[in-house]
Amino acid sequence: MAEEAAPILCDVLVVGGGMAGAIAALAARDAGARVVLVRRAPGSTGLSGGAISVAHDPSALPEVPFAGRAGVVESARRVAATVAGHPYQVLRDSLDRLWNAVEFASGQLSHVLAPPTGRNRWLLTPFGKVHPAATCQRSMVAGDLAEARGRMAVVAARGHLWWDAGLVASGAARARHLGAPEVQVALLDLFMWEEAALARPVDLARLLEAPGAAEQVGELLAERLPRGSTVALFPPVLGLTPEARVAERIEGRAGIPVAEFLSDVPSVPGLRLQRAIDLRLGAAGVEVLRGEVREASALALEARVGGRKVVAKSWVLATGRFAGGGIARRGELVEPALGLPVLASEGPFAEAGARLAARSPWALTVRDSRSPQPLLSAGLKVDGELRPLDAEGRVVNPRLFAAGAVVGGHDQASDGTGMGVAIFTGWLAGRAAAGVARAQRALPGVG
Amino acid sequence: MGRVRSLAYLGYRALVAHPLRRLFRQGSGSERFLASYAPEGLSPTSPDDRAAGEAASACISCGLCESACPLAAVAPSVRDLGLHAAFRLYSKSSLALGPGAEGLEACSSCGGCESLCPTGVPIARLVRSFAARARGGAPA
Repeated sequence: MAEEAAPILCDVLVVGGGMAGAIAALAARDAGARVVLVRRAPGSTGLSGGAISVAHDPSALPEVPFAGRAGVVESARRVAATVAGHPYQVLRDSLDRLWNAVEFASGQLSHVLAPPTGRNRWLLTPFGKVHPAATCQRSMVAGDLAEARGRMAVVAARGHLWWDAGLVASGAARARHLGAPEVQVALLDLFMWEEAALARPVDLARLLEAPGAAEQVGELLAERLPRGSTVALFPPVLGLTPEARVAERIEGRAGIPVAEFLSDVPSVPGLRLQRAIDLRLGAAGVEVLRGEVREASALALEARVGGRKVVAKSWVLATGRFAGGGIARRGELVEPALGLPVLASEGPFAEAGARLAARSPWALTVRDSRSPQPLLSAGLKVDGELRPLDAEGRVVNPRLFAAGAVVGGHDQASDGTGMGVAIFTGWLAGRAAAGVARAQRALPGVG
Repeated sequence: MGRVRSLAYLGYRALVAHPLRRLFRQGSGSERFLASYAPEGLSPTSPDDRAAGEAASACISCGLCESACPLAAVAPSVRDLGLHAAFRLYSKSSLALGPGAEGLEACSSCGGCESLCPTGVPIARLVRSFAARARGGAPA
């Protein structure tokens, strides 16, 4: 007879291994808790472009130069003041600690993230847009349009169809009057090894990781880059692992700073960020379990992961939204892990606090594509301490916290606050969960 | 007048012709389905196929699975088409699986793709099911 394995006991169980879950786990670990993190697969962090967008000023006029824009925390305050139901608004009393959370995250992930400066960096996307981010990966810093001086060369590989360097350069050209440097396209015979001409971003990233490959590219740059170039901007393929240090190796031979622009999916920088998170979780002593949470109970806070029971003193639910599977559409919108109610917090259903589970998803889209879409910001409703609320507005369980995109009220894919909300809510929820676990331990006869 | 004739014809079909056909019909349901639809290239959907299709519908075409697929780096049919393209092709018609059959056959079920799928699509199981379907459903 198979004997059941002993249950895993811990202080804090974090469900979800994206940015929000990872920061929650690291913050709880930092507070001295024993943390178990359950994850299934990458979600929107792995799919992200690899930059950390926290907030940009919703009221800024497009003609204001980069240097004159509001700082990150001030921008978040303006988001909180203007976007009803946004997590920044729900947490407005804690917003003065937003910067602590961002600094904690970039410190924990310092092997891949650049230190934040307090203002937004302005980074180019593959589609010629300029995207503000509170911080970004170290391999992107030199591409910050607000900082770069001189002449930027957008590197294009001859014969490759994956990116349009001209489109990227045109984005920088349009931002010239905002403070962007001069930009030109440099067409090089890159990636001309056998088979490389047809390779996709992940293949190119792996090729560049190989010993000697990045150095070869650096030498080519030194030889062929147009005179006067001060920064070389690459497609986002500079290595899948942070340890490969592809950008630094190219810089070493090329003699000028090298950066990559942001990515569309499948995203090499997103995968690199996810890998950096996984490495950091292991190094910080967070026990990571692979698998799905089953038979979970929001009242008892018990669940099974891969057949083993997990008992925790407090939980952080950081399961993401549609990409991560934290909110799913099964005829109606549901929260599959614990069956918590999914609520709308913007659009025509906001005032009623309508329970979305009763509505079909297509009823939650608005025809005007520029107006807020209730479907895209659907998620859990939480109180100011990030505890999920039921349909009547009561706290479901004082030992249960939610973080990241599973918390509704923001459209994390497009409103420019997705990573910021993940980091801020993750940090707050992780610390709160560790605090609850500590208090539980102190009670006689519990735990 | 035409309306009365149409209604009379419908009545005859419903009350006389259809019951008689049901009484004297031959062969199993799937045989009759094949007799009617196989010439059009449609094959019957088994419960397994239906389950596979529903699992595949969770695919969001992000392409993360391909980043862990060793085949994508070496097999041109997988690399050019992409693994997630198999789901999209499948959703149109099983006949469209033909072009991907080579890649599907070459899959070694290493499971690297599955561990990266954000929405939890059981990719290895689906690839096996698609491969079987591509073998059986390919036009002669």
